[in-house]
Amino acid sequence: MAGNSTKPLRVGVVKFASCDGCQLGFLDLGPALLEIGVKYHIIEFGEASSNRTPDGPFDVLFVEGSISTDEQARHIRRMRDRTGVLVTIGACATSGGIQALRAWAGNDGGIAGFIDAVYAMPEYIDTLATATPVADHVDVDAELRGCPIDTRQLVELLTATAIGRRPQLSSEAVCVECKRAGRVCVMVARGEPCLGPIISNGCDALCPGMARGCYGCFGPRESANGDSLAGWFADSLDLDDAAVAATFAGFTAWSPELRAVIDARGGPPGMRAAPASGSGKAANSKGGAA
Amino acid sequence: MIDLTARAWLAREDLDRLIALLREDGRKVVGPTIHDSAIVYDEVTSSADLPTGVTDEQGPGRYRIARDGNGSSGHAFDFASSPMSWKSHTYPAAVPISRATRKGETVVYEEVKHDSPRMAYLGVRACDIAALHIHDDVLAGGPYIDEDYADRRGKAFIVAVECAMPSATCFCASMGTGPEVSWGFDVALTELDDGFVVKAGTEAGERFLERLHLDEASSIQAHAAAGVGVEARARMSKQLGVTTEGLKDRLVAELESPGWDEIAERCLACTNCTMACPTCFCTDVKQSSDLLGTQTTGERHWASCFTLDFARVAHGNFRPKVKDRYRQWLTHKFSTWVDQFGTYGCVGCGRCITWCPVGIDVRKSLQAVAPVRAPTIGSEKPVPVSANPGRYSIGTIADLWPENRNVYTLLLKDLPEAVCCGVPGQFLMLDLPGFSAVPISVSRYREGEIYLTVRTEGSTTKAITSLHPGSQIGLRGPVGRGWPIEEGFGRDVVIVAGGIGLPPLRPLVDQIFKRRGHFGRVRLFYGARTPNDLLFMEEIKSWAARDDITVAVTVDRAQVGAWSGAVGVVTHLFDREPIDGGHTTAYVCGPEKMMTATANSLAGRGILPEHIFLSMERHMQCGIGLCGHCQMGKNFVCKDGPVFSRRELGESLDVEGL
Repeated sequence: MAGNSTKPLRVGVVKFASCDGCQLGFLDLGPALLEIGVKYHIIEFGEASSNRTPDGPFDVLFVEGSISTDEQARHIRRMRDRTGVLVTIGACATSGGIQALRAWAGNDGGIAGFIDAVYAMPEYIDTLATATPVADHVDVDAELRGCPIDTRQLVELLTATAIGRRPQLSSEAVCVECKRAGRVCVMVARGEPCLGPIISNGCDALCPGMARGCYGCFGPRESANGDSLAGWFADSLDLDDAAVAATFAGFTAWSPELRAVIDARGGPPGMRAAPASGSGKAANSKGGAA
Repeated sequence: MIDLTARAWLAREDLDRLIALLREDGRKVVGPTIHDSAIVYDEVTSSADLPTGVTDEQGPGRYRIARDGNGSSGHAFDFASSPMSWKSHTYPAAVPISRATRKGETVVYEEVKHDSPRMAYLGVRACDIAALHIHDDVLAGGPYIDEDYADRRGKAFIVAVECAMPSATCFCASMGTGPEVSWGFDVALTELDDGFVVKAGTEAGERFLERLHLDEASSIQAHAAAGVGVEARARMSKQLGVTTEGLKDRLVAELESPGWDEIAERCLACTNCTMACPTCFCTDVKQSSDLLGTQTTGERHWASCFTLDFARVAHGNFRPKVKDRYRQWLTHKFSTWVDQFGTYGCVGCGRCITWCPVGIDVRKSLQAVAPVRAPTIGSEKPVPVSANPGRYSIGTIADLWPENRNVYTLLLKDLPEAVCCGVPGQFLMLDLPGFSAVPISVSRYREGEIYLTVRTEGSTTKAITSLHPGSQIGLRGPVGRGWPIEEGFGRDVVIVAGGIGLPPLRPLVDQIFKRRGHFGRVRLFYGARTPNDLLFMEEIKSWAARDDITVAVTVDRAQVGAWSGAVGVVTHLFDREPIDGGHTTAYVCGPEKMMTATANSLAGRGILPEHIFLSMERHMQCGIGLCGHCQMGKNFVCKDGPVFSRRELGESLDVEGL
């Protein structure tokens, strides 16, 4: 691991299938961006600088985006070989992102139907039928969740890595942030479906703070009990299967915990359940997806 | 010394004077306000900030505010627990506790001063006062003291307001912390329509009230104020509570109970219960530093035993499963807290129930995991006397009266103590020398006396019901297995009686009323052949007038004009009733065909066979399973029953001639 070396660490920030929003998290660091120069030497960051060293090697590599083409799958393996600490950033890299929903198209004429519907010249498009998290392809050392990532978590990770301690990235529920902030639960007090209880915090409970339910962009936390929460949505908030599935089918839909609930409720709205698994990860058994 | 009996009168329009006076003293006044669709504690600058005419409705996993229908009450404090407790102010979610500088090999700590503002808490309930005192013990009771807490608590002026509207999730009465405000306040208010009855609880409170120059409350006002707590308590007594008797030991004896797994299936480990709890005090310290690790700040955060990291050590985790974490929480609240601090860690405010996103009810959890096993009529249940055939004790018939043309009730007195210590559903073997002994169900237990209700069928019962008051009679028992009342704890109860089946159920009804808080909805359905066959009708009418039980009566047939009630079989009474089968326990007694039909009908409504209990009738002579007469399938009805669950009876109920 990085640690207390005096030499600045060679850092890269790269992207795959994604919107670039998480990389902006680095630019949003503000004054801290200048300070990190003491410990970090950014040698590759296409979003920010045309002075590039795309092949590294890197002490720390931040990876945004999911893997959605064969070329990307080969490229991430190549990058892994040239990297010390690999950190995935954002919902796309950590759980596939919104584009991972394409996996459910498998039963509906497949990805080709999507390509035909979207692109004027589909023959130029070369893509996998899935968009999968980086961890499905190579070993990942740390994750920063969210859509986009939270700048404070980025600072914590950079600081901890610079000092050589374990970053304090919690696996607590979003609820913890709501309660610490004294916010009234939107689900209990207003019947708003909220994924907060099963989703990792780190966002400072941004959406519940705006009087709406959490839509899960930080992905499932440890012990995420999607079945119980989905059952409550259905039984007590009167959501039908499609509405429950829609609530779960957001930016981290492809994470095993959420996927299991979505499949058990008939798949994302407009698509079908039980997609052909393209990720190599087994579906979460407790969801009863079959 | 302060005069704890003095009562002053604060007119409603003078409430602003009270708030202003608190503010004049340099205090920030925090009280109920409306934010985010809830009544939350926040800064109050005048009575206009208060939730006047607004109340709350709470249930497991559900909270709504509601406008007072016609705005007639105009009360400002007609609500139950707030979403968050006063802990948010006395023990905030994040408090800086250390600052350090590390340069080279040198470490320097800078003292963090805890200098909180002076506060006045307006609208504190009895449960929350108890919670503050629990925190006083835990955080400031020594030998180590949380300085920030001690600072905040020492500067707080408590204006309590008597709770008038406990919600469905409240159970302070069970925990012995409320609803009446009786201590731990500087000033306490009781809200009436046009103002407040006020009392002081400390010298500081007394001095404060002197400065308000209030008139003495009239005796009518003081009397009305006293009624507020009484009404709140009565309201809560009809709700589910917690049986604290022996709870501490019961709970730790059940560490391996399968009940934990069942709860864990629903539990989200989201921490809402612990965060909303006014006594949960666990914290983490989170260190943050600059990039070089030179300047470090340590902040104390609310933590929760429900998070994975809470019990994590370098090489693993002591409580990896959600079940482990729930068990840690519940056993701490209701058992090990007592060992540590001498009180329960729960005050019955109900926040953990309301704010659980999936509505897990701690009252039900306790009953599921650590049920009260034996009905505790006496602490040590005496062994029934004279159970053996031939060995009788003697009772005296104190009174005897007809219930209808062929059913009589005998009141027996001068009884051995053990006879009166039976449980509902047990029976006595009644013996009039010269006649064969007969089994008779106990239709009521009283201190030192029992009621037996007998239908005159054969020669023995005819002889017994012909006796005069003062006559003695031989008896054995009570024997047999009675109604498992504890199977109804925490659940809705349906009681179905047919004809002479009502008397064995009456002691059960008595017990349910006695412990009404342990049950959900209670309903009694009673049917008889004709209006003349109905028993205990005067009493049934008095039950029907109560609001904590629903009663419905039907007859199979009636002459025109003689009966204005329902006609039809008893199952028709609940065919259209909403029954939550998964959470209902049924007790059924009557003719066997009626019981079979009822059990089938209830099973069709989702009640599991293990939650349907029937009292069987067979020929019983010895009453202790030795004579063989009453065998029914694999059971002796006298010894193994007469009460069985539908599951225990299995096919034997459906087989004719068994």
